[in-house]
Amino acid sequence: MKTIRFIVVVVFALSTVASAQWLKHPTAGIPRTPDGKPDLTAPAPRQPNGKPVIAGLWRPAPGIVGDMTRGIKSGEIVPFQPWAEALFKQRRANDSRDDPTARCVVGGVPRSDFVGYPFKILETPGMVTILYEAVHAYRQIFTDGRTLPVDPNPAWFGYSVGRWDGDVFVVESSGFNDDVWLDNAGRPATGALRVTERFVRKNFGQMDIEVTIDDPKTYTRPWSVTQQLAFQPDTELLEYICNENNKYFEIIPKLPTDR
Amino acid sequence: MQSVRIAFALACVMTTAPAAQWLKQPTPGIPRTADGKPNLSAPAPRTADGTPDLSGLWRPAAMLIGNIAANLPPNSIPYQPWAEKLYKERRANDGRDDPTANCIVGGVPRSDLVPYPFKILQVPGMVVILYEAVHSYRQIFADGRPFPADMNPTWFGYSVGKWEKDAFVVETKGFNDKGWLDNFGNPATDKLRVVERFVRKDFGHMDVHITIDDPGAYTRPWDVTLPLALAPDTELLEYICNENNKYFEIIPKAGAK
Repeated sequence: MKTIRFIVVVVFALSTVASAQWLKHPTAGIPRTPDGKPDLTAPAPRQPNGKPVIAGLWRPAPGIVGDMTRGIKSGEIVPFQPWAEALFKQRRANDSRDDPTARCVVGGVPRSDFVGYPFKILETPGMVTILYEAVHAYRQIFTDGRTLPVDPNPAWFGYSVGRWDGDVFVVESSGFNDDVWLDNAGRPATGALRVTERFVRKNFGQMDIEVTIDDPKTYTRPWSVTQQLAFQPDTELLEYICNENNKYFEIIPKLPTDR
Repeated sequence: MQSVRIAFALACVMTTAPAAQWLKQPTPGIPRTADGKPNLSAPAPRTADGTPDLSGLWRPAAMLIGNIAANLPPNSIPYQPWAEKLYKERRANDGRDDPTANCIVGGVPRSDLVPYPFKILQVPGMVVILYEAVHSYRQIFADGRPFPADMNPTWFGYSVGKWEKDAFVVETKGFNDKGWLDNFGNPATDKLRVVERFVRKDFGHMDVHITIDDPGAYTRPWDVTLPLALAPDTELLEYICNENNKYFEIIPKAGAK
């Protein structure tokens, strides 16, 4: 039950949108069934160069929000270093009081893809951009052939470069700060973190991101999860301004800690 | 001197960037002179359909930063009395009720009038602006859609754009009534309608002709022109306002004159 309660809290705390009006706007140019509904089982669209289109409005599939290990392979465990496991347990026990996003800081990578808000992927020459509804933030993934910088500014989103490997869009990110949480549940990371994301569009309505976490300071070996995304037709991003009415610290102190 | 002090205070508080390392990254595909420098006076590039390509990393001309009226003759903003009073109050109290002091986004047109670059992207059916300031973004729909009938009031409003010959014309409505038009605190209400005409003059220069039409705050529509300069061979930095916000440490001191 603790997990469920935790997620409810996070949904409340992170949400200024719950009472807002959902946007209805027909998405142009998507396949539809004869009754006009989006045909989410149609084949993945392709670019003129034959690569799958990954652009569009996406959202984590229901049930895999918040705790990234919901998408871990059966039998796999998170290979924590001892200090990291202790810190993770502490964060779970204290209702994530030290969560950086409680202060409206961005989620970073891969956390921003594991929250209950949609995001829009854009493809332009030399770059893939992700516009997140959460905290109204964005992420740039450079695809112009540049390499990861040798001495990057430590950042929440890190520095990302992407390339195509057959039909898979592969993104490598490094240059993170030491404060990042990998997910809402509070799995830690350090500046040694490298994230590899493999974007696999399975059909029109579904895409997987195979996420590999490689942070030798925090985990004893690299480990992977698969995040399932669902295409969001006929709607738009809302303007989520976290600082406008942030209730996190009104809610968290009221929760009992002795569970 | 007050405006200088405010500008300085804002520069201090709004920036995590000066202490950080500036990013040097050669911008691929831009025209260069024989010595390898960006040729900012080359012709404006065009997209496949013949309209100018607005995409790139841009930064406002120094003069208009903070004050939308910097290029206008004195006393030419057609304030309604309450709006002029509120503007003077904000100028007198060092902008201490500024919503961006709490790391809220600047909105339209304010986000284009701050000393941080922004990247314009053109994708089918949409123009997107990625702002370094507060790490936020703005969507301008260019797929022919009309305004929604009942818009959520927002800081950025709802923007639709279309091409009129070589000008990209953006109309924005659906604002909340809390936005400031600029750092100096020119007010706006939810009746605000902003029209921006983006005119790329050559490779390195673009003008944004801005019309402010807010019958709730001004007696008639008024116009300003914002010159933008292309910022070559660099990148946006990650500006996370909530990480180390000093606004309320500095502003009360600035007020003790």
